[in-house]
Amino acid sequence: MEFLLQLLSDLHPDVDFVINHKLIDDGLLDSFDIVSLVGEINDHFKIEITADDLLPDNFNSVEAMLTLIKRLQTEGD
Amino acid sequence: MAFTSLNFLLFVVAVLLVYFLVPKKYQWVVLLLASYAYYWISANKLVVFLLFTTVTTFYTGHFLGKSNEKYNHLIEINNDTLTKDQKKILRAENKNRKKRILLTAVILNFGVLAVIKYFNFFVGNFNALFSALSIDTIIPTFEFLLPLGISFYTFQSIGYVIDVYRGKIEPDRNIAKFALFVSFFPQIVQGPISRYSQLASQLYESHSFDYTRVKFGAQLILWGLFKKMVIADRLAATVSSVFDGYQNYAGIQIFIGAVMYSLQVYCDFSGGIDIARGIAQIMGIDLAENFKRPFFAESISDFWRRWHISLSSWMRDYIFYPLSLSAGAVKLGRTSRKIMGAHLGKLFPTFLAMLITFLVVGIWHGASWKYVAYGLYNGVFIFAEVLFEPLVEKINRKFQINPKVFSWRLLNIIITIVLVSIGRYFSHAASLKVAVRMLYRTVAAFDFYDLLNIKILQMGMDPKDIYVLVGAVLILFIVGLLQEIGISLREKLAQQNLVFRWSIYIAAIFSILIFGVYGIGFDPVSFIYMGF
Repeated sequence: MEFLLQLLSDLHPDVDFVINHKLIDDGLLDSFDIVSLVGEINDHFKIEITADDLLPDNFNSVEAMLTLIKRLQTEGD
Repeated sequence: MAFTSLNFLLFVVAVLLVYFLVPKKYQWVVLLLASYAYYWISANKLVVFLLFTTVTTFYTGHFLGKSNEKYNHLIEINNDTLTKDQKKILRAENKNRKKRILLTAVILNFGVLAVIKYFNFFVGNFNALFSALSIDTIIPTFEFLLPLGISFYTFQSIGYVIDVYRGKIEPDRNIAKFALFVSFFPQIVQGPISRYSQLASQLYESHSFDYTRVKFGAQLILWGLFKKMVIADRLAATVSSVFDGYQNYAGIQIFIGAVMYSLQVYCDFSGGIDIARGIAQIMGIDLAENFKRPFFAESISDFWRRWHISLSSWMRDYIFYPLSLSAGAVKLGRTSRKIMGAHLGKLFPTFLAMLITFLVVGIWHGASWKYVAYGLYNGVFIFAEVLFEPLVEKINRKFQINPKVFSWRLLNIIITIVLVSIGRYFSHAASLKVAVRMLYRTVAAFDFYDLLNIKILQMGMDPKDIYVLVGAVLILFIVGLLQEIGISLREKLAQQNLVFRWSIYIAAIFSILIFGVYGIGFDPVSFIYMGF
């Protein structure tokens, strides 16, 4: 959770990523942010998020991203 | 049938009547028949291409589903006897099988599109290359007729199969219903390029006549007609004159011509989209927004979030993301990080993916080097905007510039409009060569005193036309501003009293009747995007 929050606030220091649940829908994260984010997440959590996983539901909030990460971690085992 | 023709109006009224009178479970059938009737009337035998895409993508979805079923069944019945590794192998097998199925659909459909739209372009370039190398061969070109809406329905259908492949949606089980999704007549001509998950269920469901929705839909149609016939068609003659005969115009006039074209293509395209969305809304169907006040954009990146949204989001989801997250991109990233350092190296594959994406956006428009240039032009600016963002933030902090202040944002808006207009040289000139010559002349024949010369600024237009344009653009601006703030105009209008509402309706209808450019012999200026 901390890692994600740090990553996100590096991208956009003025956004509250804890509360916000419409990061994609409200355009707070754009396509470059997403690609950047996914690269870092893949490296750190040793998973493989692909374009197929890039649905708004998976990235609209930090919780959603954590859910995606956990799911991919268990699938990989 | 052009959207602004009387025939089309009669067609739509007839379809709507039948649509609301038939038993609800047949409504989608009415739409299917109407869409094919529209296609046949407009493009005749070329409907075979529409059918080809419909059938191939439908069965692709079907076989993708079957592949998943096979895999799921195997896992289920052998759940206890299979090891984790064996399950992984089965999953990989399923994935590869689906990849092959998907690839077939993509190659078939994009292949057809590529041949019809781009064959002559490639042949022309090869022939030029051959003659430059003094090789005597000349590959013959063919006269291809472009099936109506092929760039739109092909992308929409391929989006569907990719979504099925990704497991985002279940394959459609009914080929007749699917045929409606592909051919839905309000959007076949110029989009929006819809997503299956957003549109399909709306098309197949039944809808009752709802007065408010019909009213809002009709207003949207009126607004579209206003933009198209009062503004776009009025600008057409002057814009053609400038782009066809730029040598006769002063530098500033060529630039003004490009700005005018920017306005013309916006009013033409978004007007057509509004007519399409209005018709759909009357039926109870929501088509996605394709434009969000692009002239309020504060950067080229922002512009592409507001212009032809269904195309740029298609490109983002089906080209940009897959490219930038591919194994190839990851590998490239590792190499580029070593060469360019951590920051730039990390961004490099993304930039490459973005450049490629915009190249595709460019050539989507057509088979010409000018469109390649157009794509690259936009790509380079977006590239620069992302690259320099941290630097700009640093400068802002150092010089204490507040980027949220109105004056700063206005400056950015004006700069963006200028940059977009320059981009129009590439997308609208007859060829890349002409575009470059026009740009050259704009600068070489630029005289600052022309800015004070009313005759020059008038662009050879009739003062009456200028008054109408200024008035109409003012209305456009006010409407846009209100929408930017978040006011829903149709809802606000519905809240006003009867006299006010009807004054607006009557003013709108009359302005279209009186100020609409009908041309000699009432030949509606064909929608610019109909040729795609």
